[in-house]
Amino acid sequence: MLLRLMTYEWRNLSADRTPLWIALFLGLTMAYGTWNGSQWVSFQRETIEAARQEERERLEGLRREIPLVEAGERKVSAFTDPRLPSAVGRGPGARYVVMPPYGLGALAVGQSDLYPYYFKVTTGSKQTFLNNDEIENPVHLLTGRFDASFVLLYLFPLVILACSYNLVSAEKEGGTLALALSQPIALPALTMAKLLPRVGLVISMPVLLSLGLMAAGGGDLRAEGAGIRLALWVAITVAYGLFWFALAVAVNAWGRGSATNAMVLAGLWLLFVVLIPSVLNVAVKAAYPVPSRVEMIQAMRVAGDAATRQGAHLLARYLEDHPEMAPAEKGGAPDFGTLQVAVNEATERAVQPVRDRFDAQVAGQQAMVDRFRFLSPAIVAQAAFNDVAGASAGRYSHFLAQADIYHRQWRDYFVPRILRKEKLAAADVDRFPAFAYREEEWGQVAGRLGVALLGLLLPAGLVAGAGWRWLGRYPIAGS
Amino acid sequence: MKMTLLIARKEFTEMLRDGRFRGAGAIVFTLLAGALLLGWQSHREVSAQHRSAQEATRAQWLQQGKKNPHSAAHYGVYAFKPQVPLSLVDHGTDPYTGVAVWLEAHKQNEFKYRPAQDATAVQRLGELTGATVLQLLVPLLIVLLTFSAFSGERELGTLRQLFSLGVSPAELAAGKALGVAAALGVWLVPAAILGSVAIVAASGGGEVMAAAPRAGWMGLSYLLYFGAFTGVSLAVSAWAPSSRVALMVLLGFWMMNGLVAPRVAADLAKSQSPSPSAFAFAQQMQLALAKGSDGHDPGARAKALETELLKKYNVDRPEALPVNLLGVRLQDSENHGNEVFDESYGALWENFAAQNRIHQRVAWMAPGLAMRSISMGFAGTDFAQHTHFAKAAEEYRRMIQRTMNEELTHRAPKTGAPHLAGPELWNKVAPFAYTAPEAGWVAERQAPALGVVAGWFAGSILLAGWAARRIRVV
Repeated sequence: MLLRLMTYEWRNLSADRTPLWIALFLGLTMAYGTWNGSQWVSFQRETIEAARQEERERLEGLRREIPLVEAGERKVSAFTDPRLPSAVGRGPGARYVVMPPYGLGALAVGQSDLYPYYFKVTTGSKQTFLNNDEIENPVHLLTGRFDASFVLLYLFPLVILACSYNLVSAEKEGGTLALALSQPIALPALTMAKLLPRVGLVISMPVLLSLGLMAAGGGDLRAEGAGIRLALWVAITVAYGLFWFALAVAVNAWGRGSATNAMVLAGLWLLFVVLIPSVLNVAVKAAYPVPSRVEMIQAMRVAGDAATRQGAHLLARYLEDHPEMAPAEKGGAPDFGTLQVAVNEATERAVQPVRDRFDAQVAGQQAMVDRFRFLSPAIVAQAAFNDVAGASAGRYSHFLAQADIYHRQWRDYFVPRILRKEKLAAADVDRFPAFAYREEEWGQVAGRLGVALLGLLLPAGLVAGAGWRWLGRYPIAGS
Repeated sequence: MKMTLLIARKEFTEMLRDGRFRGAGAIVFTLLAGALLLGWQSHREVSAQHRSAQEATRAQWLQQGKKNPHSAAHYGVYAFKPQVPLSLVDHGTDPYTGVAVWLEAHKQNEFKYRPAQDATAVQRLGELTGATVLQLLVPLLIVLLTFSAFSGERELGTLRQLFSLGVSPAELAAGKALGVAAALGVWLVPAAILGSVAIVAASGGGEVMAAAPRAGWMGLSYLLYFGAFTGVSLAVSAWAPSSRVALMVLLGFWMMNGLVAPRVAADLAKSQSPSPSAFAFAQQMQLALAKGSDGHDPGARAKALETELLKKYNVDRPEALPVNLLGVRLQDSENHGNEVFDESYGALWENFAAQNRIHQRVAWMAPGLAMRSISMGFAGTDFAQHTHFAKAAEEYRRMIQRTMNEELTHRAPKTGAPHLAGPELWNKVAPFAYTAPEAGWVAERQAPALGVVAGWFAGSILLAGWAARRIRVV
């Protein structure tokens, strides 16, 4: 019986060309979104390649330059001497730390357009190179991208609601509900028979498209953990879709007319996709206010001034702490490079607490969002989609932590050589520390995505359960 | 006319009695009031922070002790972007542009620290501001209030009765529109009063006078925008075969207008007028700085300058010059740098401006784009006004450099012995004062967008009248 009804329903849907329109709409928007995402990925890849090219040429220049200066064929000042570690570590020898876009980056731009994906690490303090923001029209940052994740978060639910808001109410309004129920079938089963073809149709569309577009060159499936992440992307898409279908059934089960259903569902869409996120955003900002960064600029300034004033004194203390770094011969005024080491160190130490306070507030916001995201499936899905695509703030922090370690390695290489007043040889250029980004463990990502999946399936199940019960009390005749 | 008012009164009373409208209106009002209060609070905090930072950076400049003028130039000052009172209604691009810029020697820096970087990804789903409520939610409320204006009457069979009484379609449409307007006014007028109070409370002395014409323009534009939505909704309601279809079409229009069009416009703008990567931008600027616009390297440029000076003063060695060569050379390199910066940043900003002009053109398809641009513009938070501030800050930087280099040129010993300046020189640099542009300046730049909103308003009225005249009675 169920199967037969489903077949009829499918014929009904086919007759008004619904499948065609849905396929066309979701197909075009998904394809466009993925193409858009892959444009952004290639833009990042090209920029990274240009930076690496620049680095290769610069280091090659150093290798050529050093022997010339050693041989006395070229005159240089203390600021530009390619043999001096203080001059080289500050810029000419600097290397890039890079977080390449993830293999599935084309699926969601997420936060990746807001945070820098490469830095030029120097012996200078962190704040001199951390704010390497990509150029983008701020109006576009405000707008957000038309990517596959946008299609799934905003448009996909609307397609679902558009084809199921009158699932039961239309039958009643058309007078066919009582007729259908005079057959040996209960309303829940009838609803199921009408629902399943729609679920199959609407949900399979983005799933097949995601898989197809990623396989057809939109993504790099050889990337570490790409298979499992793509599978989770699919699972989350399905769960998100099921939630909206469940909502449509529950609203239908109330027994109101089609127009009311449409209004209520539009309102719920607005609530979950726009209002709850906006209100949550406001709430987390109120709970963990992040002061304007001008406060940090001032702290940096004050610390820098203090450190510069006490430069010589700081250096003496620094060398007391690190006697192994003291220059071989005593005497003579400390040079600029040596002083700078101590000043940088002191400034960074003084600013760190302020920086930590900012980070703690942002972390507090994130923790609160993580806790309360389950209030809206859209937030859960957004975070999960960003995670799959490697475009989350979490991946950025992961990168930042590695960049931090690398910055220390860089200093550990240069600072002792600066203090010991050593000179670099051409061969030393190849010994400068190098950076390689390590992707997050896929198990960790999968764990987070698993929680998100539960956070979608559970509310979907609850809503569906409620709808199922209400269907049992549905006023089949009358209004 | 009398009939129109009668219909308006009936609509108004009916809406006020409708629990759904009361609920939806109350939600919109609460969100709007909440957004304005939060905007006011954050405006108060942020502007206090910026004011005290601006004072601190000034004090640091004045109390930097005795040093070489060029060291002072390197030390520089910070410029912090002020928050104008109306930004509490519309943050615009403020979260996505940096809050401060370091004004130092040799370099025009970029603004750093975008506030959005200190927020979570949820911010990208939506930010609760007055602008969000006014641009997205109020139009949705209008749609919900009006989608069944004609189709509902027809479905109930009352449309035929109305026309049999001699009511003309135009009167009916006007009455419905007035009724909706009055009902919306119940919520929006108090919100507007609340907003005005917040703006006045947020304004320092003199700022109110500057904010008033901006607020006037902004309010008028929003009224036209709401009017356009009402007209379109009435037209669709008259044209659609059923309320259900009218609602679907209008929700589709609302979604395209608010969600899809801005993104499509952004993509279109980027493909028409692509911006460079930060890396390419910096590299190209570096290259121009190193080479010099005239194709000479700085060494040759400095040599040429020296020869020129020697010839000008008719002496044979730099020490005999009446001016300090280093000072002249530093200013010369600043002049060269300024040319490069004018060209590079000029091109970049023109690129963004061109992109934003494309948005305004696309706005003929979606009035929300024009409204967004107008709203940000009069709130003082659009990119044009960010650039206006950036230019003022850059002028100030150049003034500092000139003052320091003139001191070196005319006062520093020619022998190259150290020259130290003190507070009297630091005091020669006046504190940084910035005045935001007037409302007229904004109106001029927003003219295309204002045209779009006014055009939509007029067009939607004509459309509603036309659709009402052709309405099927049964």
